[in-house]
Amino acid sequence: MVWLQILIDGFAISSLYALGAIGFTLIFGVSGVLNLAHGGVMLVAALMGWMLAGEARIGTYLGTLLGVLSGLACAYVTYLMVVRPIQRSAAIPREEKEIFVLTGTLLWGIMIQQGMAYLFTDNPVTMRPLIAGVVSIAGVRTPLNEIMIAVICWVVIGLLWLFVNRTRAGKALLAASINPRGLTLLGFELSRVYLLAWTIYGVLAGVAGVLLASFLGVSSNNTGQLTASAFSIVVLGGLGSVSGSLMAAYVVGYLETITAYLIAPTLRPLPALLLLVLVVYVRPQGLLGRR
Amino acid sequence: MSGTDTPRLQVRGLTKRFGGLLAVKGIGFDIQAGEILGLIGPNGSGKSTVMKLIMGIERPNAGSVKLDGVEMAGWAPHRIARAGVGIVFQHSRPLHRQTVLEHIKLALLPDSLIKLFADPHVERRAREIAERVELGAVMHRHPSSLPFADLRRMEMAKAIARDPKVVLVDEPFAGLNAAESESFAALIRGFRAEGRAVLLVDHNVKSLAALVDRVLAMYLGEHVAEGTAEEVMQDETVRRVYIGGKIETRERPPDEARSKVSILEVQDLSVFYGKARALDTVSMHVREGEFVSVVGLNGAGKTTLFNAISGLLPYQGRIRFGGRDLNGMTGAAVARAGIVQCPETRELFGDMTVRENLDLGGYHLPSGARLPQLTWLFELFPILKSRQGQTARTLSGGEQQMLAIARALMMQPKLLVLDEPTLGLAPVILEQLSKALERLQQTTPITVLLGEQNVTFALPHADRVYVLEHARIVWEGNPARFAKEMGRGYLEAEVADGTSVHPGSE
Amino acid sequence: MTNLLRSPVLWAALLLAAVASTLPWWLSGYVLGVLTVAYYFGVFSMAWDLLFGFAGEVNFGPTFLIGLGAYTAAILDAKWGPPIPVCIIAGGLVALIGGLLLALPALRLRGPYFGLVTLVAVLLLQNCIVIFAGVTGGEIGMTVPDVLSVRAEDNYWYALAFLIVCAIILFGLSRSAIGLILQASGQDAVGAQALGFNVTKHKLAAFCISAVFSGVAGAMLIFYQGTASVSTVVDLGVGVQIIIAAVLGGRRTILGAVLGSVFLIVAGEFLRPLGQINTFVVAAVALAVILFFPDGLLGNLLRVTARERE
Repeated sequence: MVWLQILIDGFAISSLYALGAIGFTLIFGVSGVLNLAHGGVMLVAALMGWMLAGEARIGTYLGTLLGVLSGLACAYVTYLMVVRPIQRSAAIPREEKEIFVLTGTLLWGIMIQQGMAYLFTDNPVTMRPLIAGVVSIAGVRTPLNEIMIAVICWVVIGLLWLFVNRTRAGKALLAASINPRGLTLLGFELSRVYLLAWTIYGVLAGVAGVLLASFLGVSSNNTGQLTASAFSIVVLGGLGSVSGSLMAAYVVGYLETITAYLIAPTLRPLPALLLLVLVVYVRPQGLLGRR
Repeated sequence: MSGTDTPRLQVRGLTKRFGGLLAVKGIGFDIQAGEILGLIGPNGSGKSTVMKLIMGIERPNAGSVKLDGVEMAGWAPHRIARAGVGIVFQHSRPLHRQTVLEHIKLALLPDSLIKLFADPHVERRAREIAERVELGAVMHRHPSSLPFADLRRMEMAKAIARDPKVVLVDEPFAGLNAAESESFAALIRGFRAEGRAVLLVDHNVKSLAALVDRVLAMYLGEHVAEGTAEEVMQDETVRRVYIGGKIETRERPPDEARSKVSILEVQDLSVFYGKARALDTVSMHVREGEFVSVVGLNGAGKTTLFNAISGLLPYQGRIRFGGRDLNGMTGAAVARAGIVQCPETRELFGDMTVRENLDLGGYHLPSGARLPQLTWLFELFPILKSRQGQTARTLSGGEQQMLAIARALMMQPKLLVLDEPTLGLAPVILEQLSKALERLQQTTPITVLLGEQNVTFALPHADRVYVLEHARIVWEGNPARFAKEMGRGYLEAEVADGTSVHPGSE
Repeated sequence: MTNLLRSPVLWAALLLAAVASTLPWWLSGYVLGVLTVAYYFGVFSMAWDLLFGFAGEVNFGPTFLIGLGAYTAAILDAKWGPPIPVCIIAGGLVALIGGLLLALPALRLRGPYFGLVTLVAVLLLQNCIVIFAGVTGGEIGMTVPDVLSVRAEDNYWYALAFLIVCAIILFGLSRSAIGLILQASGQDAVGAQALGFNVTKHKLAAFCISAVFSGVAGAMLIFYQGTASVSTVVDLGVGVQIIIAAVLGGRRTILGAVLGSVFLIVAGEFLRPLGQINTFVVAAVALAVILFFPDGLLGNLLRVTARERE
């Protein structure tokens, strides 16, 4: 009985993690940035969605949509006002650019966290479910919302796959992660490709954020943990590998769910961290890592 | 000088593999104390890898490196350095907050964790060395305020400070003008006089000819010839590797229909890599419909020239295309404007299929034009059609080169720039490539700018030839004149006005 | 040696130290308390700058080492009550071990990976502390039975003396022959090896030194505050503040880190009445510094004077 519950719950949370992690790894693969403000972007989407849906009385669906758009806006600000200026700065030597971008996004993430806490307090909020009701799967009572979330995650992941593999713009994105110089030689402005990457990332993180709010609830205190989970998963799966992130998300999601159900809920984040340390010492490139 | 029992440096059967690539295959040579050996080879020959293997920066897969009879292969680099091997890198990363003198003092320090202060003689010795390399006047200045030649002198000084038994020098004269090269050559001769063994690594026999006692030529990781500089320059295999074989020109039909308008004009182009001068006031032009070959050895500046034209690096001077000044345009914008480069490194999307690579090339075409263009290219390069679904990474070298050219042609360029397409390709593939270029020339009004070290490949198609050497254009003319004037001694030729470009000769 | 004595930075630092030691005679206990914390922070930042600016290793989780030192001292004191110096030394030793643990992957990993390891180390330590709440007091923290002193002036002088000693050692190291070798190892490892230096050995030494100073300073901090908690010594945000302080002051100057720390802590106090928004403001200022003045206060100053000299 418990196992079925773990199976279902684990699936839902893993799908959510996968969405966030894929976005994180996409940005790293294409534009080489480890966005430590990731949790902040998800938070903005979640809180704005909650506020608009609930407080502003626009309704859950519209609120969710606007929440996602807020996440997108936040992603743009992250890229255009923090990441890109550092990357283009002549005052920072080339070897240190990566570190400065990391620190910059970390600071920006803190700013988002504190700013959101100031505006919304750090009390956890939960969005009203998109679909109400409970269904019974082989005796386990599961909220329909949970199933809906898993479905949405997979639909989005599927759309992303279609985009990258079947559209020309998607192929350009893929090419940018393989060889940016090659793209320049073919007349593609890399700045536009990066903008596309961050747009997709904003949507992915935004959807992940509002869904999280609807499923488990969020608070500004979660920001650091969200970022940590994402890069945990991404390092496990291999930086830059989307399929690796997908697999690793399920590994981590299930590990956490099993820990929470069978050992203790407070120890939830621990196995992922231990696994991460193990991976870093034994196989730093992760399961399917390329770089 | 030479003739002692144990050579100072003895290398045997040195082999290094990078993944699937065998970069160095069984290289062996001796250097006596007080002898200068030149190690030459084109890009990809493995000469730099050999240098790194001796220094321990890379670990050999097999072979032995003996210093005065002591086996060093497999040692950590710092241990090899302490044993008496010194290296002068081509590019250094100096510490910006330290003065020149402090850099030299660093080289004199022992590898200790507890010695807080340097011995008193260190300061004195550092000054002596600074004077010796002509840095006496600037030794209290910081590297960022010094010209390139002085930075290289500082690297020399650091090597001297180690009092090495063997000195490895990477591309000794790259980026230096004639006077600077001369003073460097004097320093290197000083090493020889002090009884050290010297290994000079370079692309080009000519620049080392007057300085070295012996030369060893490498190609694709293998030993190709050894002897005095003259012997190596005359060697059949070496000439084939560098020039490509017998020089023949094809009869170019005088075509009045070919417009005489210049579409590409390069004026007084200069490019600097940091402080090093990579191009020195180069001027050239390409007319519409022409096929222009820029001939020169690796390191002469061809790639730099092409990258400047393609807008991929900053430059001084003027480049005009179709009357329009290209200054300030991004690389991608230049490509969209009609100058498409197929670089030496090809820059394919390895994990994507042949078809996907080509499709990306045709991205900016109107949708109706894409398929016809693709069909035409498949006729030009039939092998690509049959390998459409394969990932680019799995193609052979020749097929990859064809894919790179085809992908560039998908953009319907007005000017196609080809950088060293024959690098690392077998003769049979060169035939195919040559035929494809021939067809291209005959069936389309395309303008081509080709940069090649392989003169045999570059000459038959060309309407005009430029010779680029040490960052300058030293010769211009048509292929027939080239065969007459340069062909015989391309490797040893001199500048048109008779002045020598050989550093080290008196 | 003469080079050291000629350095204008050194004389300015001596002057500041002299002024600082007179402050208790005319500042309130509250301000002294703020400065005391700032001085310990200064040591944290200097230790970080040694590792980053010289060995070239970015440590995103300096609070891992600090936390190890702090909690070791705290637990030792609470459980067995040995004299304070013993606890502090023990803290330094445990931090040293932690530093070695961090050094191992660092020497094999590239770029972003090492940064991630340091972040994870902090998170792991946090979780461990929370799990073993019985011993460590968990998220609430634990009180330490002994303190250095109850008088604000005494605590201030302890902190200042400690800062000055650490500054002398770390600054001296940075200007010594060892510092030169370390800088070369960090900036151009291959070049340093070609000059005969065992880069691995030197970087390991840098890790150890940074770890010991961080751990000892962390231990001293909790003996000042009388409490040890996750939010003060094992926090990611605190770690970021340490990095910001070093960058603000100027990377690779060592002494700049002290300036940055003092500025940051004092500014933070100043903005405390604003409530939660004060962290936001500090982070915003730090971001602005990174974007517009990446060389920091002292770094820019040194660059300007160097240019004038030439």
